[in-house]
Amino acid sequence: MSAVWLAARAAVRRRRLQTAVVGIVVGVSTTMIVVALGLLAVSSGPFDQAYARQLGAHLAVTYDRAKATDAQLTAAAGWSGVEAVAGPFPQATVELGALGRPRAQPLTVVGRADPEGPVDRLNVWDGRWATAPGEIVVNQNPVGQGFFFRIGDQVTTPEGGTLTVVGRAFSMSRSADAWVSPEQMATLGPTATQMLYRFAAAGTTAQVEAGQAEVTKGVPAQARLGSTSYLVLRNEAAREAATYVTFLVAFGLLGLAVAILIVANVVSGAVVAGFRHIGVLKALGFTPTQVLVVYLTMVSVPAVAGCALGTVLGNVLARPLLSQAFRNLGSAGIGVPAWVSVAALLGVPLMVALSALVPALRARRLPAAEAISAGSAQHAGRGLRAQRWLSGTRLPRAVSLGLGLPFARPARSALTMAAVVLGVTSVTLAIGLGDSLNRYQRAEARSGAVQVEVFPAGGPRGGSPGDEALLRSVPGTRYVLGSADVPVRQVGNNEQTMLRLYKGDTGPLGQQVLDGRWPSGPGEVAVAKRFLVQRGLSIGDTFTIEAGQGPVPVRIVGMVLYNETETIVADWSTAALVAPDAVLDRFEVQLAEGTDPQAYMAEVTKAAPNLVAVPPEGAEQFVWIVLVTVTLLTLMLAVVAALGVFNTAVLSTRERRRDLGMLKSIGMTPGQVVVMVVTSMAALGALGGLLGIPIGVAAHRVVLPAMADAAQVGFPASVLDVYKLPILALLALAGVAIAAVGALMPARSAARVTIAEVLHNE
Amino acid sequence: MTMSDEANEPAVVQLSGVRKEYGDAIALDGVSLEVRAGEAVAVMGPSGSGKSTLLNVIAGLDRPTGGSVVVHGDDLGRLDEKGLALFRRRRIGMIFQFFNLIDDLPALDNVALAAQLAGVAAPHARRRALELLDELGIAGRRNTYPAQLSGGERQRVAVARALMNRPALLLADEPTGALDSRVGEQVMDLLLDLNQIGQTLLMVTHDERLATRCASRVIEIVDGRVARERTLERTS
Repeated sequence: MSAVWLAARAAVRRRRLQTAVVGIVVGVSTTMIVVALGLLAVSSGPFDQAYARQLGAHLAVTYDRAKATDAQLTAAAGWSGVEAVAGPFPQATVELGALGRPRAQPLTVVGRADPEGPVDRLNVWDGRWATAPGEIVVNQNPVGQGFFFRIGDQVTTPEGGTLTVVGRAFSMSRSADAWVSPEQMATLGPTATQMLYRFAAAGTTAQVEAGQAEVTKGVPAQARLGSTSYLVLRNEAAREAATYVTFLVAFGLLGLAVAILIVANVVSGAVVAGFRHIGVLKALGFTPTQVLVVYLTMVSVPAVAGCALGTVLGNVLARPLLSQAFRNLGSAGIGVPAWVSVAALLGVPLMVALSALVPALRARRLPAAEAISAGSAQHAGRGLRAQRWLSGTRLPRAVSLGLGLPFARPARSALTMAAVVLGVTSVTLAIGLGDSLNRYQRAEARSGAVQVEVFPAGGPRGGSPGDEALLRSVPGTRYVLGSADVPVRQVGNNEQTMLRLYKGDTGPLGQQVLDGRWPSGPGEVAVAKRFLVQRGLSIGDTFTIEAGQGPVPVRIVGMVLYNETETIVADWSTAALVAPDAVLDRFEVQLAEGTDPQAYMAEVTKAAPNLVAVPPEGAEQFVWIVLVTVTLLTLMLAVVAALGVFNTAVLSTRERRRDLGMLKSIGMTPGQVVVMVVTSMAALGALGGLLGIPIGVAAHRVVLPAMADAAQVGFPASVLDVYKLPILALLALAGVAIAAVGALMPARSAARVTIAEVLHNE
Repeated sequence: MTMSDEANEPAVVQLSGVRKEYGDAIALDGVSLEVRAGEAVAVMGPSGSGKSTLLNVIAGLDRPTGGSVVVHGDDLGRLDEKGLALFRRRRIGMIFQFFNLIDDLPALDNVALAAQLAGVAAPHARRRALELLDELGIAGRRNTYPAQLSGGERQRVAVARALMNRPALLLADEPTGALDSRVGEQVMDLLLDLNQIGQTLLMVTHDERLATRCASRVIEIVDGRVARERTLERTS
């Protein structure tokens, strides 16, 4: 065994506590980094893999069958940049009814002879392909929830025909809601033609748009009804993961910064505390470089162990998060890519070693004689002016002594304070994010505004025209907002879309308008930000919807705070254009002041037996996942910061054992010792708190909008404006709390120091 | 104060059958002794005989394994850690071989510290500390930090600190052990002066000259037991 390793091993054993601190701090930080990097790395990976397997369409275009012939479409697809093409397939939006459903669903049905082909190879995961008339295959995700159709189910066409579900298939390209044989399709009256393209270059929106321009060149103008780029689907798939990634990256970086600070502090402390040890090593014949290696090894051993443990833990924690983030993709069992683990295993110890290098270089430079004498020689005090001033104040002496301690080791105090600053920053950020998400959730759910929801007992379409008036007559009713959902289809887009028609008190009860205005006339709609982003639309744009009454152009007049991506909001006057027979089948009610919701709900049931009153729905699962994750990460960072303080307090009390013994010998009580040590760290904590709060607030201003952008949601200014005075006052205490918790154990240990042993062991 | 006068004074220190064990090692083996008010007692003995342990036990810095220690009416065995701290604060002043001053505080604040811990306001504590430093002849060095003081000056600061709360008993552990002979003489004079104005003094020393000059009685400890006691006529 080499002398260097022997000395390093002995140093590790002698500094068990500091070794443990380094190991834990590096472990926790690595966990956060692995989770953050893992999410970042796979945020689009599973989609790309699954899409490539299915040869998914880079572009799906719907053409008007009356304006473009199949021959024209096929000829236009001959452009050299087209790698593969599928189609033309006849397409129609058909209102298909099913047993037990009150309303027929408008579904995009495509006629295809088989599920294979050069583009959009369908995964028929249940049953078989529809090959004969009277058969239909539905598009469903194998791991999706809430199967709407099963094999053998029968659906009815508007003409009164019956189709039997013979298979369930999944299209990553979302090219249709259902497929039938071409023969069957002819009977459904196709109005459009579907073409699916794969391009040689489709990495960017510009490339896909260029491809679209090429493949529609020879096609008559106005023939293209709509198109879907796979990049939109890709962004949507990565959306939820991207939301996590934004704040996980922020927390991961904070964790890494704290870890580096604490490791630097630990090694600096080890160098200062080990002056005599360095001197002895050099006196024994260790070269300066060997001393450097001893100190780096001393830190690297726990760092590598902590890093390995953190990598494993990060992989374990990332798995459920990834599964949650990609649950809608049909990609089960997603894990962190191997390169993330390798990068963490190599990168984190390297960063730790780099942070240890400066103090280790100091150990290397130190002359042997100076090192040996530094261990025992009386040194002149530091921070003397501060000590002097504090001793003259009216503060209890234990407190003023404690306040003076950080001045004795300014560099160490600065490192410790920096760790506390980052701890407070993360607590500030986490509390802000939590409050913002809560406010968003409440604003989105209109908590407080909507106190009771009322539905017809007979389910959708079970309402009657007199329900609204009946509800308004119930004592305790203040405002009523009625609505009815009408399934529609945006022409050129295969996503299911719901038109929600509102009638009543939209002012106090309607969704918050983030931009533009609330729809007030026929043909006006408001949508969520995600709807605009995913469909490439803006306020003022017009698009066409179909709902059985023929195509209806609608104009977007506002963006509203809404989480239901596929829902568009309109005034009741639009019902005449889309669904003249629509009846209000959901009511949101705000109660008069002092009205008990429970009593009101009972009153509604009594007054209108055909209506069911229930409390509003609770928070979304996603918000809870984010809140739980943020809370966990904050706790981890706060613990890491507290460990940094703990380490400093341990070093400080060990160095000052003689002073502590002396103070106890002249009558300092154990309680006063605890107060002194805790005060010394709490002072750093208080200062760290004051610095950490503005940084945390600034981080909140960056991270929250980034999260919202990633999630494609809009939010009102009130969601960002969360830091009120009481919260800030509490946050200011967070630094003190982190420092006090970290210092308490070393302080109690210092209070138990055996005076006789300390004072006589000179 | 004469020796017959001292014999009539109440006992400041009463040890009865005190034992102290560190694992298998016995540091004190049934020590019984008394120190009366105004006495100056020197405890002597070879290295490892238990002298310092005896001092620690009397100062409440260490707890005996058996027996009882009563100092100025306080039965130390009945006091918890806080009680012992308050006892040291009010009843005891200690001087150490290596001074044990706080490097970060100037001489004046080192001395004032003992009173400030007891809750005395800073201005009052500093005034009293200055008086003591003046009496000990180092008032001019009040703003000097320990690292810049000579050994003798440091020990004077330590003595001033020990006297700050007007202790019933002054304990000194090898008070001249780290000083050269000239400075040692000065410290001896100082201790003698203090005793002569009524300060009860118990010191542990190897220095026969210090014992014969300052103490009225010498207790010799060997293997943790009181081997011999002798009374002395002071040389000064």
